[in-house]
Amino acid sequence: MSYLKINHDKITAENAEDLMKICPFSAITYENGRLEIGAGCKMCKMCVNKGPKGAIEFIKEEAPSVDKSLWKGITVFVEHDEGRIHPVTLELIGKARELAKVTGQPVYALFIGFNIEDQAKKLLFYGVDEVFLYDSPALKHFLILPYANVFTHFINQTKPSSILVGATHLGRSLAPRVAARFRTGLTADCTVLDMKENTDLVQIRPAFGGNIMAQIVTPRNRPQFCTVRYKIFSAPPKQETPRGRITRMEIEEKQLKDTMQVLDIIRKPKDIDISDADIIVAVGRGIKSQADLALAEELASLLGAQIACTRPLIEAGWFDAKHQIGLSGRTVKAKLIITLGISGSVQFAAGMRNSDCIVSVNKDKNAPIFDVAHYGFVGDLYEIVPAFIQQMKEEN
Amino acid sequence: MDYHKVTEQELRRLREIIPEDRILTGEEIGEDYSHDELGGITNAPEVLIRVLSTEEISEIMKYANCQHIPVVVRGSGTGLVGASVALHGGIMLETTGMNRILELDTENLTVTVEPGVLLMELSQFAEENDFLYPPDPGEKSATIGGNISTNAGGMRAVKYGVTRDYVRGLTVVLPTGEVIKLGGKVVKNSSGYSLKDLMIGSEGTLGIITEAVLKLVALPKVSVSLLIPFADMDAALEAVPEIIKSKAVPTAIEFMERGTILFAEEYLGKKFPDSKSDAYILLTFDGNSLEQVERDYDTVAKLCIDRGALDVYIVDTDERKQSVWSARGAFLEAIKASTTAMDECDVVVPRNRVADFIKFTHQLAQEIGMRIPSFGHAGDGNLHVYLCRDEMEEKEWQKKLDTVFDAMYRKAEEYHGLVSGEHGIGFAKRRYLSRQYGEAQMRIMRGIKLAFDPNGILNPGKVV
Amino acid sequence: MNILVCIKQVPGTSNVEVDPVTGVLKRDGVASKMNPYDLYSLELAMCLRQQHGGTVDVITMGPPQAKSSLLEAICMGADKGCLISDRRFGGADVVATSYTLSQGIRKMGQYDLILCGKQTTDGDTAQVGPETAEFLNIPHATNVQEITEAEDGFLTVRITMDGFAQVQKMPLPCLLTVEKNINTPRLPSYRRKCSVNPDGISVFSLADFEDKNEGHYGLSGSPTQVERIFPPEKNLSKEIYEGSGNELSQKLFDLLLQKKFI
Repeated sequence: MSYLKINHDKITAENAEDLMKICPFSAITYENGRLEIGAGCKMCKMCVNKGPKGAIEFIKEEAPSVDKSLWKGITVFVEHDEGRIHPVTLELIGKARELAKVTGQPVYALFIGFNIEDQAKKLLFYGVDEVFLYDSPALKHFLILPYANVFTHFINQTKPSSILVGATHLGRSLAPRVAARFRTGLTADCTVLDMKENTDLVQIRPAFGGNIMAQIVTPRNRPQFCTVRYKIFSAPPKQETPRGRITRMEIEEKQLKDTMQVLDIIRKPKDIDISDADIIVAVGRGIKSQADLALAEELASLLGAQIACTRPLIEAGWFDAKHQIGLSGRTVKAKLIITLGISGSVQFAAGMRNSDCIVSVNKDKNAPIFDVAHYGFVGDLYEIVPAFIQQMKEEN
Repeated sequence: MDYHKVTEQELRRLREIIPEDRILTGEEIGEDYSHDELGGITNAPEVLIRVLSTEEISEIMKYANCQHIPVVVRGSGTGLVGASVALHGGIMLETTGMNRILELDTENLTVTVEPGVLLMELSQFAEENDFLYPPDPGEKSATIGGNISTNAGGMRAVKYGVTRDYVRGLTVVLPTGEVIKLGGKVVKNSSGYSLKDLMIGSEGTLGIITEAVLKLVALPKVSVSLLIPFADMDAALEAVPEIIKSKAVPTAIEFMERGTILFAEEYLGKKFPDSKSDAYILLTFDGNSLEQVERDYDTVAKLCIDRGALDVYIVDTDERKQSVWSARGAFLEAIKASTTAMDECDVVVPRNRVADFIKFTHQLAQEIGMRIPSFGHAGDGNLHVYLCRDEMEEKEWQKKLDTVFDAMYRKAEEYHGLVSGEHGIGFAKRRYLSRQYGEAQMRIMRGIKLAFDPNGILNPGKVV
Repeated sequence: MNILVCIKQVPGTSNVEVDPVTGVLKRDGVASKMNPYDLYSLELAMCLRQQHGGTVDVITMGPPQAKSSLLEAICMGADKGCLISDRRFGGADVVATSYTLSQGIRKMGQYDLILCGKQTTDGDTAQVGPETAEFLNIPHATNVQEITEAEDGFLTVRITMDGFAQVQKMPLPCLLTVEKNINTPRLPSYRRKCSVNPDGISVFSLADFEDKNEGHYGLSGSPTQVERIFPPEKNLSKEIYEGSGNELSQKLFDLLLQKKFI
């Protein structure tokens, strides 16, 4: 049991005042000559480190650690949609291989679904030592309890040291459920992963809206879980010949039974509000005619982007008002926004300047859009976009 | 009036003053430059010059004055009465490139800016330095030059006043090219006629503002809005004089009708937090602590409930303010999107007459058969009334427009109100101004215009 | 239907400053507010109550000041609130927090439905919901967009998955985390504010829980440890390219490839 110990003999009215100021959570109170630490305490230890020496001590009593030598291997959970493997899976396998080099442990893949054996073979081209396959009609769709039961079964059977899960909607639902079942650590949305020789996984993630990075470990428990978003790591190149093996796993039927039931899968993409879009292609008056919008639309569909526009195009009746970016329209915060033929009025810029990556194509190199763009392309969109689309198609 | 045309010869001379890449002619001038936000009147300038300094403007004016070429100044073009439209062609000076914040004087609590600084840039700059620039007109992308030229008011006028109250000094280029400095950082000034105050609200007809010294106040740390639903508009508006009488001093008191809220919901594709009631008033309180602000709003909340408010909703966090004020900010665009064409009336009446005037517009709408939605600053008596064309034929529309405007301005006059609260006279409201002010006042105004601009080259055809 | 909504008090602005050395929030002038994502779950709960009857209660874990978020929820329409507060909960990670919350929920009573926001603005992990459901031994679903039916001890919900939506039947009791922007949360009512009794909020500490083992809570009950805190690298690149159409399109292609957009 770790706790903060107040050494009351070292507390005076003056240093109590100091301690109250030091605590960022206003958790320290001093009443009737007695210092108390309240429920606001987040154990940040500021009072220990910055307060009067010896006034408050951190007493550390480590809980016992598991025997880490009994837990081996790095497992990647295979994210897929009815067999189609999500690219985040390959990215995680690539990272797992790097991490495995430090400890010399194997890389596993956990593949749960129905009719997925052929797909499983594909994974052997990316450097997985062993794919554990749970293949059953009951596992055709994701349902939390059967999937969690399978995951639990897998962990109990193979005792992996680390488990990497894609931070997809499914992964972010399943991983915490299983981590809680083993009462072990799970770090969400890691951007950097590293491995210590003692098999502790070093996990770095942004905290407080990206204002700070935190390095997190799970020193006493196994397995150690983390989730990683798509496109954080790079997928390894496909190898010429497959290696590793596929192991079919069996689990009791009753573990797969559930009162939950999938009624429908709706493929039709919901009309995404551009405010929530990750990728946006925005067009302005540089597009000469309504027919030319097809160019922008093709680009958008190749990038999986939403299409947006400036106010004049709304006024021209080319778009519905819901597509307008700007002060009198929507504010967007995209991961990528490509502006085509937009000069960049303040009204427009105010609605998109907080996007992570702003790429702008415009003929006029003095256009104000280049003040907000991270990457400015001074040129004719009618030359650049078709050539780009052409290349995208060839590469595919 | 006859003005000199801008031909190749004039352009050659202008290129000696201004680098060629900042001089645009013919097709190069975007279509935007021939109208303002409401677009009722359209005419393109012959040449558009992107000016960057007082000296440049002075040189251009000297030349234009000699040659008798009309000159119009334009900021962001967000005006609503056609004041920045080049009615007679000629030269248009665009000031948006003069957008530097020149000095923050924390000893005199002033900020000195060029005219092309945008309102939103100025308010952000002030806030970053722990100050508030109180004037808060709805159009945040307007330039400060434009704000001063119309004496823009905005939402916070109830507590903080209007742009005029925050202009300490101006640097002005006269139509003759002479440069004068009016006012300064001084707090008091009784040195002769206040030419500075004549410049404010003169809509670009007397001189060209090239620098402004503005007053700042300390930034209030907390602000909370209240959204108060009433069963009908009468009940809502009748509560407003009581609120003012209570001396609680909100920064803003806005009123809104359910219909307008529904347009904004449609326009933004987002639901308003509450649209069950027919009428709402929206108030904001600011201060230095939550306790103080809560004390202030408590009085008003109780008062409103006593006056029949259905409830009082507290709008205290960023998300809540966003959900309410984004709708308020979209009203103009939303009404515009709801109809085929529209015109606006920006009358201001004494605050205890707001309810009567709005009732009158409702009556008028019924009688004439025209949709007349409105919203506005109930707390300062400045109403924004919108006349919607919808499915009317052009002829019918023009005829009804005249009738309605006429009736509204007469009613405003009867209530001792005035033609414009904050949008100005420009081109669109001239005849209503001269009708209300009468010959004596108009003669003085024309005399002032003549004293500043003997050749009548600066923004001809506007205001007087 | 009796519903419990889990809420959290978070820093009032998104521009929270963090001390880069200690990783601790700079508290000067930082007011608190209810986690914005919780507003959607609270609104959903109240809509369900309107349709199906029952009650909406709220629970939070935090310092004594977190009571104000419970009162705010009551002003918005919740029936009653419960604060879980104890110094021994300090320093809890996701597992310890979820476990503490599950103990508090058990103590509060039987609920048909437990709702959470999809994540918080300060922690951003989106894990507390699923972990709490595990500790309560009830099923869960995350990112719920809509509840289309509720009858006979079942809910039909539509949840966001990657590239599709899944409609599923959930048995009650269960826990759902609610997608953002699915509704417009109502505003707190001044009328309710005037009538709410601040003392009517129950407060539970460790002593009230079924599991009183201190080792399961706070820092001691947290399997993860923060080893180090450091400021992120700032990447403020700005590049302007000129050239022929083909050169620029190649450049654009390389850029998007490098940034993993294609």
